[in-house]
Amino acid sequence: MTPLEELLLVLDLERIEADLFRGRQPEVAGQRVFGGQVAAQALVAAARTVPADRPVHSLHAYFLRPGDPSVPILYEVDRIRDGRSFTTRRVVAVQHGKAIFNLQASFHVEEQGFEHADALPDVPGPEELPTVQEQLADLADEIPAWFVRPRPIEMRYVGEPPLLARRSPEPPGDRTTLWMRAAGAVPDDPVLHVCLVAYASDISLLETAVRPHGLSWGSGDIVGASLDHAMWFHAPFRADGWWLYDQQSPWSGGGRGLAKGAIWTRDGRRVVSVVQEGLVRRARPQS
Amino acid sequence: MTEPLGLVAVLDLERIELDVFRGHQPGDERQRVFGGQVAAQALVAAGRTVDADRAVHSLHAYFLRPGDPSVPIVYTVDRIRDGRSFTTRRVVGIQHGKAIFNLQASFAVPEEGLEHQDPLPQVPPPDDLPTMEEVLRPVGGPAHAWWDRVGPIEARPITEPAQVVRARGGEGHEVSRLWMRTTEPLPDDPLVHVCAAAFASDMTLLDAVLVRHAMTWDDDLAAGASLDHAMWFHAPFRADQWFLYEQQSGWAGGARGLARGVISTPDGRRVVSVVQEGLLRVRQP
Repeated sequence: MTPLEELLLVLDLERIEADLFRGRQPEVAGQRVFGGQVAAQALVAAARTVPADRPVHSLHAYFLRPGDPSVPILYEVDRIRDGRSFTTRRVVAVQHGKAIFNLQASFHVEEQGFEHADALPDVPGPEELPTVQEQLADLADEIPAWFVRPRPIEMRYVGEPPLLARRSPEPPGDRTTLWMRAAGAVPDDPVLHVCLVAYASDISLLETAVRPHGLSWGSGDIVGASLDHAMWFHAPFRADGWWLYDQQSPWSGGGRGLAKGAIWTRDGRRVVSVVQEGLVRRARPQS
Repeated sequence: MTEPLGLVAVLDLERIELDVFRGHQPGDERQRVFGGQVAAQALVAAGRTVDADRAVHSLHAYFLRPGDPSVPIVYTVDRIRDGRSFTTRRVVGIQHGKAIFNLQASFAVPEEGLEHQDPLPQVPPPDDLPTMEEVLRPVGGPAHAWWDRVGPIEARPITEPAQVVRARGGEGHEVSRLWMRTTEPLPDDPLVHVCAAAFASDMTLLDAVLVRHAMTWDDDLAAGASLDHAMWFHAPFRADQWFLYEQQSGWAGGARGLARGVISTPDGRRVVSVVQEGLLRVRQP
């Protein structure tokens, strides 16, 4: 089974009751559940209770407690509102009797309206760029194995990922831009494509928040966690085609950092906006 | 007609039970409740259930139904989590037995840490600028009438408001800037300042979507409403002193538009980030 096939299984929730779902864990997991997985599973749960002609247009979520990767996660859906044009859902993810995650999502019938969008940045295409595994191969002994393993999402950085940028004499900058796509074909169900991007969007936002300080995830000098996650889905797209994820951190302070992201399809359609705040504490030096 | 309630009175919720609050209406003769009022009152309710040493650092909310200005709003607080460093609350605003608004907010103990912020624009100080009422007076209409009364918030636009751009047949622009502050002094309680900023942040944010097309709420929309509201509070500040509100929109389509805002103090501290999506249905000719 490829990492993507496994992720698709993780997103294929078991429906225990009309509004109650159970999500399994991947075989190989970290010490705690990856936040993007919880967000994606919760969004699948919400979407399974909404008619297919209403795509999700936004979600707002809080991470409440670390998830335990050794047991499944239960998702309880609250049908907050079924309106004429909009449907609102709340999903609480539960483990060991406690809420670990709280998501609200809104769904909207398709409408027409006036349009504008920020333009796709002028960057090299993914074919001209190395994979993240190739870029980090020389560091494989120093960083967590997760960074260089095959992943469900392919990643090709425009420039250096923070793990490399911090080793460079150049200033690290405040921007992390990369091409991403699902590492294989994804079934046509639009919910899966949205949820795969929700999963992927959580991978690199907080490394963007610490990047201006010459720091990175995976080097042991930051202890952190996603605090919240907000996404706006502007138009349908396929997660198994390349998309560009441009992220920048406008602020950090008080042990927290904010990062925002914008996603375009390869043909220049702006399809997703993301904002996340994270806890970014400097790790205490090991004594 | 009785005098409308001031912002401080609107934010002074009546505590009915430990986790149940009642918010009164300002009585300013609106057809539906202003979204910023609901967001601010809900945040007061959440904050009243959290120890004062934990400051709110973010909120995420959905507007579910239009609010009825003729009756009070009841806010029920759910104490989702009381952790070592963070406290999370959910607040539901209720009228006539139905949820009109759903907010989550997170509070944190103060910590020290990494610091950076985006550079802020150079702008003229508020004292050198005309008031919003003066700028809108030549155009008239509902927007001018709104700013012509003494409301809870006063504003001094730095960039041209959409009404003015439209009236002179001008091109839209991407970034909108204005100074804002409350018209009355606020008590020292930091939560009140944050809630006043939540109130103010909802007043003009979606205009940033429309101004790109030189359109206005009153002239061009058949229907418009705030859909959600997200705010991140970075540091304490006073909302009864001038603050700079910069707004822009990165996307609109499908009868929706997304706008983001940054609130900063005159001494150059970024104190709040805001994102909001709105329903913006254009009037058919």
